Amino acid sequence: MRLSRRDRVILFAPAAVLLTGWLILPAVLGLLASLTDYSPFAQAVHLSGLTNYATVLSDHLFTAAVRNVAVLTMVAVPLELAIGFGLAYLLRGPIWGRRLWRVLLLLPWLVSPIASGVMWHFLLGPTRGILNFALGWIGRPELASPTGDIRLALPTTIAVEIWRVAPLVTFLLLPTALDVVVPALRPLLLAITMLLIGLSLGTFDAVLILTGGGPGTSTVTPALYSYNQAFGANNWPLGAASAWLIAAGVLGAGLVYVGLARSRAS
Amino acid sequence: MSGMRAQRRRDRTVRVLLLVAALGIFVLPLVWTALAALGVQANNSSSPPSFHGPPTLDHFSEVGLAEPSFWQELFTSTAAAACAAVLAVAAALLTAYGLARSRFAGDRLIIQWFLVLASLPAMAYVIPLSDLMRRAHLIDTFAGVVLTEAAVTTPLAIYVLYGALVQLSTEWEEAAWLDGASIFSVIRRVVLPLVGPTMGATAIILFVLDWNLLLVPLVLTAGGLKTVPVAMIDFFTFERELEWPTAAAALIISLLPVAILVAVFHRVLDRFALNVAPAD
Repeated sequence: MRLSRRDRVILFAPAAVLLTGWLILPAVLGLLASLTDYSPFAQAVHLSGLTNYATVLSDHLFTAAVRNVAVLTMVAVPLELAIGFGLAYLLRGPIWGRRLWRVLLLLPWLVSPIASGVMWHFLLGPTRGILNFALGWIGRPELASPTGDIRLALPTTIAVEIWRVAPLVTFLLLPTALDVVVPALRPLLLAITMLLIGLSLGTFDAVLILTGGGPGTSTVTPALYSYNQAFGANNWPLGAASAWLIAAGVLGAGLVYVGLARSRAS
Repeated sequence: MSGMRAQRRRDRTVRVLLLVAALGIFVLPLVWTALAALGVQANNSSSPPSFHGPPTLDHFSEVGLAEPSFWQELFTSTAAAACAAVLAVAAALLTAYGLARSRFAGDRLIIQWFLVLASLPAMAYVIPLSDLMRRAHLIDTFAGVVLTEAAVTTPLAIYVLYGALVQLSTEWEEAAWLDGASIFSVIRRVVLPLVGPTMGATAIILFVLDWNLLLVPLVLTAGGLKTVPVAMIDFFTFERELEWPTAAAALIISLLPVAILVAVFHRVLDRFALNVAPAD
């Protein structure tokens, strides 16, 4: 079967327009803007080299954000994979109500990160929450929400993200027969890991309501930093530069992913 | 023999117990929220903690009072997510088909990079995108939100549909080509019936992803158009904090459309698979 040049244009044009216009062009313009002092409302644009990156990297708020997201990724991604795999393993083979289990266990992922933040804000809170309800029954005093505690805020955020994302891993693993040997699962696990790393490095809405990045800098993430610089502090160049650092992180992980995915094919 | 049977029964009991525990962790928080939305709230100041409040549906109507445009936002979210999902799956099918039926150096590599693109956080490009869209007068427009949501999810759709298309035998397609069929009639008559279920499953997953997107609608709108997640940010500001039962009702309402969609189409969702089989 030979696709003609005209066929190819018809086939590739719609997605090419969407991806170029809405993802690639903005990403490239962002990279260019991060090397200048460009801002949408500036009168003139001057090249500024790597100054924006130097400013971002020396900002203690950004380094705190990088540290948080590194912890988040290194803790949450393996746990999401492990728990997701464990649940899929429990659902392997013939079991009563397999499809019902599957739909029920996907529910947390259907909750948007924002809604999840709203929900856990209350569930972890003192008067109406699930946490203090359980503690009350074993006779413990009421606790303030762990999202307000400088040491507990990040672990709490991680736990909430695992609650929301681990079910997705289960869902993605289930159609594959898990009884097959694990090496056959390798490409699938690699693909899932790639998605989870991207999700984790871009963490934004999951902390926006739950902690707002606080207390202090304990749960600030690079995406939150980037958003606040561009849209809050009107510091467009710093927003663009820090956003590109996130992109660079994901593209770096992408290089490793593509390398690993290829090494099996050869 | 009986030892083995006993062993198997014990395995099954352990498995069901673990599943029930998992259900407790993953679903109980949502049940708690649903109960609060129905007016049955925990009271942790009593000892031991108890539940109180007669069941009522009042909190669902309170959502409309606390957030007068909530129903409008719900409609915007649904329409935008549906349009974006259909657009993305259509564009992705064409590209995935073109890739699956072309032979060139590095064609496998391209498909892996689509997955990387799918993993790229929206933050990586939304700042300049908001600027571009403002210049294109697409800020606060339905079209702007739909096109962006479609673009954001197209890479994942290409990856999944490629995985389905590359597994198909090309016999029927060859026959149609020999009959002189055009590319569109090959796709409509031969390809669509075979990958239709995968397209449906992909569209549902994309709908859920679009429905829950925050950053994209947030930076592309300035109050004229609101989706549910964007509206939820305003539930808690310095000026106001929504009462828990009202917020819970809003949460349940926003979860229902996607939950029903997934429950109704759970069979077809099996077709959404990330394992792209290396065809070589």
